[in-house]
Amino acid sequence: MPPKSSAGKEKDLAAEEEVLQAVILADSFNKRFRPLTVGKPRCLLPICNATLLDWTFESLALAGVQEIFVICRSYADLVKKAIRESKWSRPSSGLKIVPIITAKETFSPGDAMRDIYTHGIITSDFILVTGDLVSNIRIDEVVRMHKERRRTNKDAIMTMVVKESGPQHRTRSRGESGVFVLDPDTSECLHYEPVIGYPPKTLARIPREILAEHPEVEIRNDLIDCCIDVCSVEVPSLFQDNFDYADIRRDFVYGVLTSDLLMKNIHCYIAKEGYAARVADTRSYDAISKDILSRWTFPLVPDDNHPGDHAYEHLRGNKYIAKDNTVIMSRTAKVGPNTLIGAHTSIADGASISGSVIGQRCKIGPGAVLKGAYIFDDTEVGEGALVENSIVGSGVQIGSGSTVRTGCLIADGVVLGKDARLARFDRVSPRRDLVDGESTDGEEDEEEWEMVEAHQDSVTSVLGEGSNAVVWPQSHSEDEDEEVDEVESYNNQRLMRIGDTASDLDLSDAGSVTEDESDSEDEDDASSLMNGLSRTSSMTSVSLPDPSVSTIHNLQASAADLEFRSEVRQSLDRAFTEGHSVDNASVELKTLRMASNVPLRRVREAVVEAIVERIPIVESDPSKQRMEIAKVVTRWGPLIDRIGGVDPVETVEVLANHCSQSTRLPLFGQILAAIYQADIVDEDDIRTWHARPSSKGEDHKPGPHKEGLERCWAIGKMMIEQFDEQESEEESEEEDEKKRMKRMKRMKRKKRKCRNRRFLLRLRTSRRVVRKRPMKAAKRRRAKRAVKKAVKKRARRAKKKPK
Amino acid sequence: MSSDHPVPAARAVDNLAARLRRRQVVGSREAALETVLVLRQVVSKARFSNIEQLVSLLREVGKRLAEAQPKEHTVGNVVRKVLHNIREEYNTAAKGAAVAPTRNVFSISKFVLQGQPRKYNVAPKSEMTISLKEDDPDDPDSFAKNLKPVLMEAIQDVLDELETVYDNVSKTAKDHIHSDEIILTIGHSKTVEAFLKSAGHYRNYTVIVAETGPSYSGHEMATSLSNAGISTFLVPDSSMYALMSRVNKVIIGAHAILANGGMFAITGSLLAATAARAHSTPVVVCTGQFKLTPAWNLYHEYGALDFTDPSSVLGYEEGPLVDKVDVINPYYDYVGPELVDVFITNDGDHPPSSIYRLVKESYDDEDQHL
Repeated sequence: MPPKSSAGKEKDLAAEEEVLQAVILADSFNKRFRPLTVGKPRCLLPICNATLLDWTFESLALAGVQEIFVICRSYADLVKKAIRESKWSRPSSGLKIVPIITAKETFSPGDAMRDIYTHGIITSDFILVTGDLVSNIRIDEVVRMHKERRRTNKDAIMTMVVKESGPQHRTRSRGESGVFVLDPDTSECLHYEPVIGYPPKTLARIPREILAEHPEVEIRNDLIDCCIDVCSVEVPSLFQDNFDYADIRRDFVYGVLTSDLLMKNIHCYIAKEGYAARVADTRSYDAISKDILSRWTFPLVPDDNHPGDHAYEHLRGNKYIAKDNTVIMSRTAKVGPNTLIGAHTSIADGASISGSVIGQRCKIGPGAVLKGAYIFDDTEVGEGALVENSIVGSGVQIGSGSTVRTGCLIADGVVLGKDARLARFDRVSPRRDLVDGESTDGEEDEEEWEMVEAHQDSVTSVLGEGSNAVVWPQSHSEDEDEEVDEVESYNNQRLMRIGDTASDLDLSDAGSVTEDESDSEDEDDASSLMNGLSRTSSMTSVSLPDPSVSTIHNLQASAADLEFRSEVRQSLDRAFTEGHSVDNASVELKTLRMASNVPLRRVREAVVEAIVERIPIVESDPSKQRMEIAKVVTRWGPLIDRIGGVDPVETVEVLANHCSQSTRLPLFGQILAAIYQADIVDEDDIRTWHARPSSKGEDHKPGPHKEGLERCWAIGKMMIEQFDEQESEEESEEEDEKKRMKRMKRMKRKKRKCRNRRFLLRLRTSRRVVRKRPMKAAKRRRAKRAVKKAVKKRARRAKKKPK
Repeated sequence: MSSDHPVPAARAVDNLAARLRRRQVVGSREAALETVLVLRQVVSKARFSNIEQLVSLLREVGKRLAEAQPKEHTVGNVVRKVLHNIREEYNTAAKGAAVAPTRNVFSISKFVLQGQPRKYNVAPKSEMTISLKEDDPDDPDSFAKNLKPVLMEAIQDVLDELETVYDNVSKTAKDHIHSDEIILTIGHSKTVEAFLKSAGHYRNYTVIVAETGPSYSGHEMATSLSNAGISTFLVPDSSMYALMSRVNKVIIGAHAILANGGMFAITGSLLAATAARAHSTPVVVCTGQFKLTPAWNLYHEYGALDFTDPSSVLGYEEGPLVDKVDVINPYYDYVGPELVDVFITNDGDHPPSSIYRLVKESYDDEDQHL
């Protein structure tokens, strides 16, 4: 605090500057740490003898965060208590921590975000982190950059913090990661592709327009996603609007970036300095422990700024021993490098410890061997026991001569008898009746326990005499009825297990595949694929000749097409019957098009079809028929040009195409004339269409379709003849006006040329699914509203259907 | 005593402690300045009715700050210095002019400077003959009220010393650097920079700057010196020994000076000092007296070198290597007293062997352990 005189001024400044808020999602929404998390939330598991929540708070305090909301679900009381008792809730810490308990029905980060929205606690840009973060990155710097960006671009809603590492870095999750497509200049994240480890993903699809719109694109598969997001206020509301977003990366980021409706940008901050990682699974628990011990997280290291407020002395070889002289270590005990030993722990003769973290008040028996073991507080390891690459909870007793092999997780309070033998990757917890009855998600737990108990007959491990433990089954994949998320599938989870090399899984190594895969790609896939597509090659693939592209579209869209068609028909029917304005109808069409991602041509077809089918057939009276046609065309014709692109030639083509297959074939000539009258197409367009070989139906198989096309073409020919006649008539009519006519003609020709050029351009653009330049603000707002309405409508419809 | 009185300005103290712990305040002078400012706040807000209360309060605050970051020795030093000055002021104020002659005790720095008066001796303290009454039951604040102006002045003295340290150190620069000499330096010490620049006004000489990996702060130093018009060479650390035969003097900065005459200085300093010893080149250390630390490092405490993160040696992006290589990246070297020839301080030049005496003069014995 500054001296009193300036305190007033300081306050003014503080009032101007917004309070930096952070939201911690303290629940993991998965069960990777089971059974360690039975009776305890994950964020209260210790890493290097401080709880994950403490590390997270320290990471945020480092960034100058003033207000923290902790979203907790399971074991919320424990979390609240831990927060209340920690040093962070002291007034001197400068933090205001508010725990928020969400409903039991919160099953994903997305649900939590919706909860945040309904609470209405967020008032400004905020930092979103998970409750298992270890970081020393200056997040305030990221926030500053984010705010600066927001000043110029209101659509930059989020900045993700990522850290550069190799693709095979120990801290990088093998089971769950992502490919980032970045613009190196603006560091905008153009595309995000979630990657899972098993089954190995070898292809990443990148929308073509990204390559077209950005001269330089970085595709990176070597980033650690720290799960630190600087979000603006809109983000929770976006979650609210899109009720199907569950995961922040896989659904939200992917969804926002691939949607051409939201028009929001997400940026990336590649941290050059500093460390940040998430304890997402037991494997990263191991890796991050190692990172902390080998001081990558400096100054957040045990001997300097330990979040749990323990004091450790740093000794040669990255050994950390509690400083208060309470560690009793036998002279013959061997303590190897990268080891942390908590206060009041005693280590008996001949014990050997390396690469391990040992909690407070532990007893390591004589001759015990600990290699890469993570042992929480108050645990006893018996004489001659071996613990390797495993996590052992607090208050555990491991009997003498026991062996705990690689990858075991031993829950709090387990007692293993003498000479127990645990197989690799065994997960052990006390029996159900020994664990506190109080559990948060009742039914699910019940099921889980039943499964565990059913599994006991097939257990091969020896738990030793007097043990209170049960062994958990290896995988959940056997129960087919439960739909398992791909990420949480057993084989993928294996990649996230401590000590599991997963060498028996068929994994092509994720780092190197990116290079070779480009050869095997099928080039004719419409959405461009991830390979080293340079700008030029992407351009060539863009300007493929028309028919092939459209056939591809046909192929690709066939499934979604039907649905889209019916949607369009319905929406137009509504528009026709309720007499919407053309504007409104066009907006609705646009959103529909974006929602189902179909090419423009498809929309045109649908619109033309709808209009044609709209015309009532009057058999007897041709003049009345003409009137009907004119009525419909003048009312709805403009819609054809309002669907997002103007291409009269295509309109004629589509019209002919449709008429040839429809009962309204005889009306083709009249309709064509009507749209000509309505200035939707003009003479030249009809000529161009007519000149095309395809309009005659040449590339179609003989049949009614072809015949129809031929008839249309014949009608078109007649029409053109008429035009010619007219022109020549006009010319011959008045001699003295010949000069004027000539001038006019010249002008006309010029105009035609111009139009042709424009038309060519249009042709080029219309073939791609191009994300148009950002719409004007008002338009966008309207579109958004329409989308919301459409979504709601669809939801309502979806609800109705089951009945 | 202070357990029932909350520490005044607690928030400022906590704030500084947190920033020290998180290494958001780095550099010995920076840390020292911040500490003095916090101490001044504490004193100005403190309520006490006798000197013991104040001293124990300050010691408690000092202990918190010093323990927050044991590697920044200057924090503790400044606390000790403030305590020392406060006691001195109190003694003069309480006992009046009668005790004043005790100030003329033998001082080694005065001896070195041949009677040049110390800065805080000239302060007109003889006027401070206030009637001090400790533990006055009628007005418990009267003691504090009367003493505070004097105390603030005492703290101001420390602050002034810190603020003028570069000028005072570089005052004698032209006596140490002669024309056409070749000087070798390492790292980017502000003190050394000021010293060399000030000599540059009078002399024409050459500086060889070692790059000082892995922080490469030598690059900044070389840029800064050459901008000041001094002919500068930037060399890799490895060539230090080879160049040493041509070097007339090695001038380096220090992070902390220990009572035995050894010092902590940026990595590479030991290399430079050892190479200099092999060629019998004099090693000169430029430093402020606030870096004098009453510690000995007799057992070469391992962690004292302050091991930072490995990323400047081995990039974090070297994924597969990170798992297999243990990187040791100490920030400081311990340079023993036998390798240093002279310390140039803001208060005279001293050989390593008399540092213990300076330490004894600057701080009170009872404050050795806060």
